[in-house]
Amino acid sequence: MNAKPTYEEGELVALLKQKNEQAFGYLYDNYAGALCGVVRQIVPDVEICHDVVQEVFVSIWRKIDTYDAQKGRLFTWMLNIARNASIDKVRSRNYQQALKQQPIDDNEMAHPVVRQGIDDYGLKKVLMKLKDEHRMLVDLSYYQGYTHDQIAKALNIPLGTVKTRLRAALIQLRTMLT
Amino acid sequence: MNVKEYISTGIIESYVMGMTTEAEAREFEALQAQYPEIASARDAFERSLEERLLQDAPPPPAFLKERIRASLDAVQASADADEAAADEAPVRRLNPWKWVAAATVILLAGSLYWAVTTNNKYESLRAENARTEALQAELDQTKAALTALQQDASTLQKPGMKMASLKGTPDAPTAQVTVAWDTTSKDVYLIVNNLPQPASDQQYQLWALLGGKPVDLGVFDVRQEKLLLKMKNAQNAEAFAITLERKGGSPTPAGTMTVYGKL
Repeated sequence: MNAKPTYEEGELVALLKQKNEQAFGYLYDNYAGALCGVVRQIVPDVEICHDVVQEVFVSIWRKIDTYDAQKGRLFTWMLNIARNASIDKVRSRNYQQALKQQPIDDNEMAHPVVRQGIDDYGLKKVLMKLKDEHRMLVDLSYYQGYTHDQIAKALNIPLGTVKTRLRAALIQLRTMLT
Repeated sequence: MNVKEYISTGIIESYVMGMTTEAEAREFEALQAQYPEIASARDAFERSLEERLLQDAPPPPAFLKERIRASLDAVQASADADEAAADEAPVRRLNPWKWVAAATVILLAGSLYWAVTTNNKYESLRAENARTEALQAELDQTKAALTALQQDASTLQKPGMKMASLKGTPDAPTAQVTVAWDTTSKDVYLIVNNLPQPASDQQYQLWALLGGKPVDLGVFDVRQEKLLLKMKNAQNAEAFAITLERKGGSPTPAGTMTVYGKL
């Protein structure tokens, strides 16, 4: 009864598409931690972060039929759902209003300090090693979801430069990961 | 197409991390279906990212799993209720309160289902809109390019248009330029068939020759997006020549002559 099965990715996806609950439990046990971590790095508030993770798993359950293995791995697909849900949450009116109730925090961009329990694992930990100008762009683009255009305008640098620096930063990220 | 070069642009990382534009993503998906090398580079990066993220993430709190299971049950129940509502044969008698309860459940399930499908529709519409916008932009560009070409073609077809083919001098044997001169309006147009790229402090200058005397028709750059390059007007000309001058041009030809041709 308690024997934990392990699945090949293709097998797992097939079971998920049949809405198999055991497979879904397996998915949660193996990936919830990583997805939680990603959400937490965009939504620092723990309570709200849990709400987002819940939304993410409901989305995965509902949208599993749209997952296409030709385009990428299951984890990547879930990661992007988690990232988009987190950015949507941070941008929502409710969240913005809740922020206003809190004492004003130092601007994170101006003082890039490591926030304990948030930045000291996963992708952020790797990103902390990037050059300032690269890290800031990845932060605006990946964690805050701004388009290249918006970043170029906000920082007053050419669009081409934004693209080149981001690409360079991501290539560096790959070498740091491997 | 150079696959290695494409891979080294960082497109893989951008795509995997969801940081490409809609157009870049579509291009990437098409290319990776065509070149297995791209797909396997994508897979490798995904695995290293996955490994890192799975490795040191803090575990989620225990209660979260139960909470998610409960919310999934609710989602599933509403889907099941929908199916049941559709399948059920209406023969049983129920007391009025049961009807009210059943109606409430069905209404609730219905509105949940409606919310879910509306959201799905909204999302697919949004994607569709982005695609349409990209296509529109492409169409506009193509139209503009076509209009420019049509204008150039009708210019060349005008009555009274004379053409001169300018051949390379021994200093630039492969150079070739065509000059079109409108004898009515006196407009002069240039088609660069082949001219070597000049040094950055130099520019080509076109001259009309009349009685052996050069008349300045202006400087130009070799790389042109338009087919026809409009130069200064020439009242009369027996021949045309192009010399390589310092940037900005000279009052009288001082540099090497690259092409020459009689009208």
